[in-house]
Amino acid sequence: METLRLILSPDFLLRNSVYTSVLVGFSCPLVGVFLVMRRLVFMGVALPQISSTGVAIALSVPLWLGVKLSSHPSESAHMLAFIGSMTFSLAAILALAFMERHGRGQPEGRLGTAYVVAASLSILLLSKNPYGEIGWLDMLKGEVITISNFDLVLTAATLTLVLATLGLFHKELLLVSFDRPMAITLRKNVVFWDVLLYLLIGLTVSMAVLSVGPLIAFGFLLIPALTAHMFARNMRQFTILASLCGGAMAFLGFWVAYALDLPVGPTDVVLLGGIYAAGWLTAKLFPEGSK
Amino acid sequence: MNDALITLDNLSIGYNGQPVLSGISLSIGRDRFTAILGANGSGKSTLLKTLLGLLPPVAGRIDTTQSPTGARLVFGYVPQSIQFDPIYLLTGFDVALMGTYGRVRPCRFVPSTERAFTRECLHAAGAEELAPKRFSDLSSGQKQRVLIARALATRPDVLVLDEPTAGVDAEATHTVLEFISRTREERQITVLLVTHDFAAIRHYAQQVLWLHQGKVLQGAPDELLNSERIAEIFGIGIG
Repeated sequence: METLRLILSPDFLLRNSVYTSVLVGFSCPLVGVFLVMRRLVFMGVALPQISSTGVAIALSVPLWLGVKLSSHPSESAHMLAFIGSMTFSLAAILALAFMERHGRGQPEGRLGTAYVVAASLSILLLSKNPYGEIGWLDMLKGEVITISNFDLVLTAATLTLVLATLGLFHKELLLVSFDRPMAITLRKNVVFWDVLLYLLIGLTVSMAVLSVGPLIAFGFLLIPALTAHMFARNMRQFTILASLCGGAMAFLGFWVAYALDLPVGPTDVVLLGGIYAAGWLTAKLFPEGSK
Repeated sequence: MNDALITLDNLSIGYNGQPVLSGISLSIGRDRFTAILGANGSGKSTLLKTLLGLLPPVAGRIDTTQSPTGARLVFGYVPQSIQFDPIYLLTGFDVALMGTYGRVRPCRFVPSTERAFTRECLHAAGAEELAPKRFSDLSSGQKQRVLIARALATRPDVLVLDEPTAGVDAEATHTVLEFISRTREERQITVLLVTHDFAAIRHYAQQVLWLHQGKVLQGAPDELLNSERIAEIFGIGIG
């Protein structure tokens, strides 16, 4: 309990890390719900990794051009990383969604290949990057330690924008996802709503990857939504349960990791996995309690 | 025949620029019950999707008159119920409410008047008790009723139904067709219904479009669906 009191204290040294983890924990499941409903779970796994490759490439560009960055992750480096992450996330999600709709072959194969190549490429690039070795490599492994006020504000602002957009356009995004032909007959611009949803997913993934790394990002995108789906009775419950599960697990994960001196990212994801397994078992043993 | 609501002028339909049916020229009458008949693969669903704007025509034109209010025609589409993914945790009411989304602008909540109208449509379709139930848990026939309610909630000029009686027994088929026929009369809307059930539809349809061997035959059910004509079409083909 002493650890909990310390973490909740406003003077806690790593308070920005706690706030960011919880913000990501609450927000990622909200777009994760759409990934689960659209059966794009594999995309939820591949996207954060591709996004982190965007970070690695963006941070390598100054090196390739002979421009010197400061030795610690700075605001300019963070912005550069954000641009790289966002560009790669969006390009990947649009390309993968296009291939999903029009491509031949196995979508799982494409996503698996994209995932493993992106993961290896980002590690290779950052291992040859002096700035990467200092902080970014840790971030990509899921070490949520050094989060500046600037990072926290950027994360909060981005995720608020995503949340507001999801709330404002929920009925259009739901209609286009559930029944595309119906949306067309109602003269909805389905391409616009699809692109908006992909933009929100890309933005959330980029922000989450930059704040907490790809490991936690894909953990929070998918596992809370998959867990909530076992118990929710309607869409409102599904969304709220997934978000609450993500936020609560983010806080609990930080607490456990701090108390036991463990890396935060893997702790969060293992806890999420435990909750999913417990949920699955409960739903099997007490089917009347689940939906 | 009443005046034409939809006119197809030398229309070719198909996928990726490859025509399935070509040279279709016909009219669909206002406020009439039109059945589109044909065997599997004859192009019924392709024609329906082209009329709804889900597929672009390969060639030719579709001319539609405007609704009485001067707006573009509103289609109330009832797809086959098997196409919906059960992963969506939607109730019957949630699904029916989607019919009102064409009138509610983005960023706005669905107003209480539209919600009340949705309940009326569910009542009219005999699906009131299905409103709180999970849509994916409903039987095929129950889903069909909710989807008809959703189509009515669009306040349609044309009610378009894609094989609403597929997988339904004879008694239920007549109940569904009776309901659609009655709804058409009460609401004065045009009905366009795809089916391959020749026997059932002849008592309800006022106009038949029969897709057979790449051609479209048009006529009244009595002309086209009598035993001599059917034998002639199947026996010697169409000249």
